This record gives sequence, C-alpha cells and structure tokens, in this order.
Amino acid sequence: MPELNPIVVEAGIGETGPPQQGVNLSVRQWLRTNLFSNWFNAILTLLGVFAALLMLRGVLNFTFSENREWDAVRTNLRALMTLSYPESQYVRVWVAVGFVMALAGMSAGIWANWGGVSVKRMSTWLMGSGGLFALCVLLREPSVILDSEGKVLRTVEGSLQRESVWAAMTDRLGWWIAAVVLITLGAAIWAWCSEPDRRNNSVAVTTVVFSGLGLLVLSLWLVPYGHYAFADGTYIAVPGRTVAFSTKMPWTVMWLLLFGLYFVGRSFRDTRWQGIVRGSSNFLWLISPMALFWVVLRDPALDYAHVLSTDLPMGLAFGVLGGVLLWALTRSDLGEAGRLTAVGLLGFAVFNWVAAFFGLYPMLQKARISFLLVALAALLAPNFIGEVAKRRQLILGWLSAMALVHYMATMMNTPSTVDIQSSEFLGGLGLTLFVAVIVVLLSFPLGVLLALGRTSKFPIFRMLSTSYIEIIRGVPLISVLIFFSVMVPLFLPDGMELAELAAVLTGYTLFSAAYLAENVRGGLQSVTKGQYEAADALGLTAAQRTGFIVLPQGLRVSIPQLVGQVISTFKETSLLAIIGLFDFLRVANSVIPAQSEFMGVKREGILLVAMIYFFFNFTISKYSQRLERRVGLGER
Amino acid sequence: MSIDDGTTVANDRLAGREDMIVCVDVDKWYGDFQALKGITATIKEGEVAVVCGPSGSGKSTWIRCINRLEVHQGGNIVVDGIELSNDLRNIEKIRSEVGMVFQQFNLFPHLTVRDNITLAPIWVRKKPRAEAESLATELLEQMGIPEQAEKFPGQLSGGQQQRVAIARSLAMEPRVMLFDEPTSALDPEMIKEVLDVMKELARSGITMMVVTHEMGFAREVADRIIFMEGGEIVEVGTPEHFFTNPTEDRTKLFLSQIL
Repeated sequence: MPELNPIVVEAGIGETGPPQQGVNLSVRQWLRTNLFSNWFNAILTLLGVFAALLMLRGVLNFTFSENREWDAVRTNLRALMTLSYPESQYVRVWVAVGFVMALAGMSAGIWANWGGVSVKRMSTWLMGSGGLFALCVLLREPSVILDSEGKVLRTVEGSLQRESVWAAMTDRLGWWIAAVVLITLGAAIWAWCSEPDRRNNSVAVTTVVFSGLGLLVLSLWLVPYGHYAFADGTYIAVPGRTVAFSTKMPWTVMWLLLFGLYFVGRSFRDTRWQGIVRGSSNFLWLISPMALFWVVLRDPALDYAHVLSTDLPMGLAFGVLGGVLLWALTRSDLGEAGRLTAVGLLGFAVFNWVAAFFGLYPMLQKARISFLLVALAALLAPNFIGEVAKRRQLILGWLSAMALVHYMATMMNTPSTVDIQSSEFLGGLGLTLFVAVIVVLLSFPLGVLLALGRTSKFPIFRMLSTSYIEIIRGVPLISVLIFFSVMVPLFLPDGMELAELAAVLTGYTLFSAAYLAENVRGGLQSVTKGQYEAADALGLTAAQRTGFIVLPQGLRVSIPQLVGQVISTFKETSLLAIIGLFDFLRVANSVIPAQSEFMGVKREGILLVAMIYFFFNFTISKYSQRLERRVGLGER
Repeated sequence: MSIDDGTTVANDRLAGREDMIVCVDVDKWYGDFQALKGITATIKEGEVAVVCGPSGSGKSTWIRCINRLEVHQGGNIVVDGIELSNDLRNIEKIRSEVGMVFQQFNLFPHLTVRDNITLAPIWVRKKPRAEAESLATELLEQMGIPEQAEKFPGQLSGGQQQRVAIARSLAMEPRVMLFDEPTSALDPEMIKEVLDVMKELARSGITMMVVTHEMGFAREVADRIIFMEGGEIVEVGTPEHFFTNPTEDRTKLFLSQIL
C-alpha cells in the first residue's frame, strides 16, 4: 500500500495553544471524575454496564446460535442485492457499480480534503476492538455438543446439551489469540506514538479507507468464506473455499477503479484542468442515477435510420438555432426587445402544450419540450449580458441541455434490449438505493421551491404551496404510494402507461418534497431582515437575492433537519413492499421459492438488512456532521 | 429641477450644483402613527448632509425611504432625476445608484469579504469577475484592511465589518451614499476608524446623507445639518449656525442634552 499523503494535523496542545483540560487524565482519574464521582453515579454506572453486557450477550447468542442458518443469507446474497436480475446480463449491474466507484474515486481525488486520522486514535481502535473480541468470547454461551454424525446432543428433557464453560473457553483459543494480538498491537502503537515528536503522527483518511477496502477485497481471494449459490433451482454449497470467481473478480475491478481514478483525480488537482474536472464530475453525479437506470434496465435498441433522419437533425436544429437566438438575446444593446422576445416565446411554448391537450396540431413531444426550454433560456438571457466569456456560458449551457434532453427523449422512445423474465426484475438493495437516491434528488429542488413559495409575498404562491404542503402532510405515505400505484394509472389518458416504479417514484417524491419544504422553510425564516435589506440596497433582483443570499444561509441552517429527512426517506423505502415491490427488506422477509433447505429462515436476512441500513445511515449522519463543521454552522 | 426647501444653502461650495435628492411633502405612516410629516428637503450633488435628532424622530425612516427600503405614502422623492414609484425598474435603477450602510453592518455571513464586495458589481453591474476583484482589492486598501479579503465577516471586529460594508456599497460606484447610524453598534474604540473612512469619503466629493449622533463628525465634515423631531424637519443649517446659534428651542434642548 503506497503512502498517499500523510497530513500532519496541528494538535490542540501546541506551545502557543490554550491548555486543554482532561487530555492528560490517567484512566483511573478519568473513571473517577466521570463514572464514580459519588455513590449514586457509581450505582448508575454499574447498572448501566450490567445492562449493556446483558444486551451484548443476548445479541451474541442470537447471532451465533446453532439455530441460525447463515447459509441462507450467503446463498441468497445476490437476491438481496438485485433480486432476479438475469444472470446473463449481470455485467450491466457491474458496469453501473463500476461507474459509481470510478466517479467516487475521481471526486475524492479532485475534491476531498479530509485530513488525517491520528495514529494514536487508530491504536485505541485496535485496542478497543481487541477488548470487544475478548468480551464477546467471554459472554457467548458455550457451544452445543455434536455427536459423531454431526447432530446436536440433547438431554433427556430435550434441551440442548452444552459443553462446560472451561471447554468452551479453550475451544475458542483462536479468538483469544486474535484479541490478544489486537490489544498488544494497539498498545505497542500507542506506546510508540507517545513520544513527544510522534504525538502528531497521522495517516490520511483516504489511505485508511482505501487500505481498509483493499484488505476486504484481498480477503475475498484468500479467506475461505465458502462458495454458496442458488441458480436454476440448484443449491450449491462448497464450504472451505474462497467465494466464486464471479464475485471476487468484479469487486477487485471495482476497488481498482476507485483507487485508480482517485489518482487520476488527484493528478488534475491544482492544474488548470481542475475547474473542468470538478464541473464535469459534478455533472456526471447529477445525471448518473438516470444514466445507470438506463444501463441496468434498458439499453435501448436504436433504430439508426430514424435517428439519422429525425432525431439527430432535430436536436441539431434546436441547438444551433436556439444558440443563435440566445447569442442575439445577450447583446448588451438589445434592451427591452430581449425580454419581449422571451415572453413571446414562452407564450408560444405554453400554447403548444395547450394545443396538444386539445389535439389541435401534431407536434413531437421533444419539440414541445425544446420550445419551452428555449423560452426559459431566453428569460435567463439578461443575466448573461456582458463580455464574450459570459455569453458563451449561456450558449454552452444551452447546447448541453439540448444534447441531454434529445438524447434522453430518443432513448425513452426506443424499446429496451434487457431480457427480463418477470415484472419483478428490479429489487433488493438495488431498488432501495435507486428509489432513495432518485427521491432525494428530485424532491430537493421541489421542496426548496415549495418553501420559497410558502414564504413568498405573492398570496397566490403562498396559498398554493401552503395547501399542497398541508394536504400532503395530512396523508400517510402508504396511502400516497397506494394512490399512485393503483389510482393514477386509472386517470391516465388512453394509450399512456406509467410503469409502476415511475408512478411510485412520483408519489414518493411529491410526498417527500412537502416535508422537505417545511424543513427548508425553517431555515429560510432564520435569515434576518437585515440580509434582505442589504441585498435590496445593493440593487440585487429578487431572484438574485434568493439565490445568493437567502437560500445559502437558510439551507445551511437546515442541514441537520435535511439530513434527518434523507435518512428517513432512505429507511421508509421499505414501505414499497406494501404496494408489491420487492425492496431490500421484503426480499429478506420473503421465502425464496424452491429453496426447501431454508424454509422459514428469515431472522438472519433481516439482521443483515438492519446492519446494512445502519451502515448507510450512520455514514450519512457522520458526513452531515462533517458538512456542518465545514460550512461553519453556529460559528459565523 | 429645483424646489425651494425653505432654507438657504450657505455653503458656497455647493452653489450651482445639480439637485441629487429631492423630497417634497413626504409622508409615512406605520398604522395610525405618522412617522414622517411632510418632509421637504433638497440634497445637492456632492453635498454631505448630516441628519440628527432624538430617537424616534423619523430620521432613519426618512433615509430608508430614499432607496425604498420603506415605502412612503405621500409626496414625492426624486433621486438623480428618477422619481421613486412602484415601478420596479426605477427602484432597481435607484438602488444601484444609491449605496447604503446599516447600523448592524448586514454583511453576508456566508460569503468571504471579497465575495461580499464583488457580488453586486458582478451580478448587477455585469462587471467581469477579474475587474470586480481588483476593484475590491483597491477598496479594501482604501479602507485599510487589505489583508482581510479571504476572511468571513464573523471573523472580523465590528469596526472592520463596518468598513467592509462601506467598501461593499462603494463597489457599486454609487452617486449617493446613505449612512444609517453607522457607528451606533460599535465599541467606542472602533468608532474612530469608521469615522476616519467616512471623512475621507466626504472629501472625495460623493453625495452623502448621514444619520448619526456623532456631533464631532457633523461639525467637521457636514455641509448642512438637518435636525428632525417628531417626524418633521425642525431646523436646517450649516454646522457653524447649528452649533453656535440655533434658532429653534427644540434644537437648543437637543444640543444641551447631547453635547
């Protein structure tokens, strides 16, 4: 593992800094001041420790009980991740994961400045985990005794027969050794870095993360986790060997992508390409959910004749003609004519939709959307009047918007080539993550708009947003989901179909946006009147005031609530089970057909699902704390 | 345009100058309470007018009407030949010509000092970023705080923040600067650094209207002092006249309390 960039972090106890109290307390002093300061606290401490030990013992005995069938989870790991995605097309899933990994590595390389983890702190982690190991080995009840045929022995009354405590402890020699090694290693590192000149030694967070992931991937090749699979109705169980090649190879590639692209990203840092790389990686993140949805679920079969004769020329025509128009509209000597043109265009664009509704004249949907976009860009044009570079920004933005819209529209109109056997092709963790990400991404702008509407001084906006928010908040999420999956298809005009997933995404987004709006509104209201006045006095327009002054400050204040919302959105995707989608939790909670070996085995899967939910949410929560610190919440 | 405000501008320096701010019979109510009662006054181009008076006399309300942070309900206000009305374009135009400095600074806490200063020039004046930034550097040097450009307002002292606020207004290259009690929220030792900057500004020939209790400042740089009480202009005159020979009893009472 190469050393990435060890960053030396200034410690609080430098020669010039203020003295930090409590840092130099010995363990005994710390215990005395914090846990045993008087007899009442001592009793509380002992009771608390006792309760914690009892709980840990319960969890251990449940998790490692002889009744647990962890093979069920091992075998159905793939189903938990992607349900019944066709095996022959599975490379698409890996392409999607790989794309995310590469993008994550790239962004980490070009953006991240995470500092370091002090070596001393890592040594306490080592010692702590060693101690936890030892504790777990002690607490776990003795194993059952197996007879020569591998069957559990029972007493005459039928209860399990367990070995003696002493035998259990000696049986677990390997675990004891592991615990001792961890503690010794931690203590050695602790002692090593207690020297004054090594006190501040630290390792970059990126090094820690990449090596940790690297070790995990390496263990796939070395550690005999066992090979378990269930395919085409046959159950394969080969304990004692490493996992299947089709698992370890892709994950190795994923790690290499993450690691490699990190260095690519880093090599662009502080060069003149930095801005471009940052911009494009942000853009890729933004479009990645839809793009990956494409890769995994559609991969359209393009009709090239049609593309060349219609789609491409149309996209080009809108791009070029719109670009010319916008270029003209950003001339500084244009004055009011520009705004009038924009309003005229908007009128025409809106009329196109009205005409479509009444069937007045035929027009491609793409053209309608494009006209609307031209009008919106023309409305924005006055903000880009100025020198050539600024005008060029608008034109480039316009061209990329056109490319994206026309590409998406074309793809949407072409049938998919992904071979799907049933309607439940997307499920498991894939579905959960997809729904959560899309809902969060889409409900964010909608929620911000609603919050702005509710705080607007125009009564009509205020009324509309308020009633929307109140109506949605008065209805349970489940009923919104049911409404969108069952009722909405009934209202759609003939010939128009909405995939179940799309309907549900729409409903969930609308629901989530209402809650998000209230959180954002709380932040907006914390922006003082003086900020509005200062912005007004400088001559900023209302939109500029909102965009540059009010929203950044309001959103900064609402970060904790917004993160809470993201976490609950992620968890509540499990309600999708109610309308028949196979989300992560439902897969774990279902009996996989044709697996008679694992009849009624559910607890293991649910435990795993809970752990994975916790892992994701804990990460989000940690990240938000970092974000709060970075934007200086409560400081400036 | 010339409207007699009932007073003579005693200062020769301003003779023959254009009118910059013209207020005629300006009325303003808060509910049943009349905050401004027929304010009529003319500020010439390049004039430094100090508005003083006891608290609640309507001086802040008046100055805030001039860039329409408050809406007046009667009379006319004309700034640089543009009449303030409900026409949004006129308001935007006047606001970009009129800079304002607030008692509480009202800097944007989420932006660095440099971004605070360059925001409006870039987005309202449509200046290229590089030009706006060099202007910001220049202004910060003028304010005596060139080293603070990358800091956030919360990291500066009150006096420094107020100087940044002045620089932020000046970056719009306004024709008029309004000061609404710029030193009232400052610790005594910081008042001087702000007043020094304002004196410098007054000498540069920009039109200034200053609501303040700093009589020393008024005596030194004001062309005219406007004394208000109860929403009315009570007395107008040169500093010399105002401090040595006030005619109105209410002015005399105010001066006896404040000096």
